Amino acid sequence: MSDKRKRDKSKVSVFFANEKVKSAETFVLPVLFGIFIMLLWQTGVLHRLLNTDTFTLPLPGRILAIMSDNRDKIWMNTMATVLVALAGLISGSLIGYLIAIFAALNRKWGASGLGIVAACNAIPIVALAPVMTNLTKDVSHDANTRSMAAKIIVVSIVSIANMSFNAYRGLTELKPFSEDLMASYAAPKAVTLLKLRMPNSIPYVFTALRVAVPSSVISALVSEYFAEYIIGVGRQIRENIVLAQYPSAWAYIVSACLIGILLYSILMIIEGIVLKRHVKA
Amino acid sequence: MMSRFWYKFKKWLPTLVWILIFAAVWEAGAFAVAAVKRTPENVLPHIYQIVEAAFSSKKVSGGKTASDLVLYSASLTLGRAALGFLIGSVSGFVLALIMKISKIVEKVIFPYLMIIQMIPILGMAPIILSVTGDINTSRIVIAAILTFYPVATGTLAGFNSVERSKYDLMHIYAAKKTDLYTKVLIPSAVPYFFTGLKIAAPMAITASILVDTLQGDGGLGTLLSQSLKHAMSVYVFWLIVFFSAFAGIFSSKLMGSIEHLVLPHKRTARAAGKGEAV
Repeated sequence: MSDKRKRDKSKVSVFFANEKVKSAETFVLPVLFGIFIMLLWQTGVLHRLLNTDTFTLPLPGRILAIMSDNRDKIWMNTMATVLVALAGLISGSLIGYLIAIFAALNRKWGASGLGIVAACNAIPIVALAPVMTNLTKDVSHDANTRSMAAKIIVVSIVSIANMSFNAYRGLTELKPFSEDLMASYAAPKAVTLLKLRMPNSIPYVFTALRVAVPSSVISALVSEYFAEYIIGVGRQIRENIVLAQYPSAWAYIVSACLIGILLYSILMIIEGIVLKRHVKA
Repeated sequence: MMSRFWYKFKKWLPTLVWILIFAAVWEAGAFAVAAVKRTPENVLPHIYQIVEAAFSSKKVSGGKTASDLVLYSASLTLGRAALGFLIGSVSGFVLALIMKISKIVEKVIFPYLMIIQMIPILGMAPIILSVTGDINTSRIVIAAILTFYPVATGTLAGFNSVERSKYDLMHIYAAKKTDLYTKVLIPSAVPYFFTGLKIAAPMAITASILVDTLQGDGGLGTLLSQSLKHAMSVYVFWLIVFFSAFAGIFSSKLMGSIEHLVLPHKRTARAAGKGEAV
């Protein structure tokens, strides 16, 4: 009896050790869990557990119905948010990388400059967003354009700090003796930067982006709350909550989640391609 | 004594210069704004005006000076943020531990951790409010949820950073599973845990302020929206901006100091590695 059980157990462990099963597991298990939660939600068990009602937490079917009814409006707001998040993310990351290069080349002044940048990272977005709204009043006569500028600046400030900190580590935490090797070649600083430091920083850049992508979406959503022009997923969530239109608010919450997940997946795909090539080289 | 002072001064000089540069840029901007605007204090006031507002004894609202008002609201907001932060960091650590112990839990939960991070906090507010039935509790819960993600993922990364050779060594020692956790895994995860705390602390404050803007019963966020709508002196707004910036920076630094207290041996290695000057 016990022998049979042992054999069964080993069979099970062999099954789970199989590589294909393992990779399928990483995909199937979360999906199953998600379906389970969705079932609880749709059948109302979740509401009883959380002690809430279908008005504050509408059923998934109803949220989907609202989303398809207001397709155009939700799409417009989603695009506004994506534009802000991406523009801020890209400009902020580029500036952050340049700051990191500057800091890596001038350690004494650069490192403390990075300290200031890191301090900027700790400034709450709620404090930044209204200041930027005020500062960009003269950028354009069009309220949409100037709000857009304010929001992009907020997102890029958040991205700058993150990128410069990680990229600096990537540019300076080199393999032992590789810097000495470059010195023994009498390589100029620029060559060391291009051939040693910058390739070394690539994985660190992706580490930074993994944090920066979700946080740029969130900063875009929050900066919309304080923007002058009423557009964007974040602003719609707020407007609908204030008006107690929870079902519509939920439709926007779902689209906010989708934006984040989509951008993160795109990053993962790019990271997979780039890092594969990086390791080969 | 003198040389020690000189050494300290030299160490802080670049930071000081950067702060001065920042102030100079701000002031240049303030002068430029003052030249073209009718109400420059709405856009970019001089630094001295903000300092003046902080120390003025003029009653702004409800018989309170601007500083009193900000500090009182801040105590409300920061108290909630701190409590939420504490709950979030403890549960984040515990979940990371569970995910390390059970691979299946990690596989099921980890993707959802990211999705939770994606749900905008204000979106969660009414739901959590209806669950807890109390706005204060829901603020604390929201701060906890926001803290939770960076702490949990950071700590898990710490657990996973332990090299194969250390497992092998513990295996050779015939160490028990609990020993493996208490002597190897948890100690190596602690620095990562603190990295998570440093990221999470300003976020907890941001969350608390943001939830304030949703309901009007005191707190920095409530005050912020009131002064933005010109219900009181606009300098209250600037004081809140500076106060929340300092609170955010200070909270992050505080976590760094606690880390130094807990892990003195990490001091030199980490400072050199991360180029932390401030």
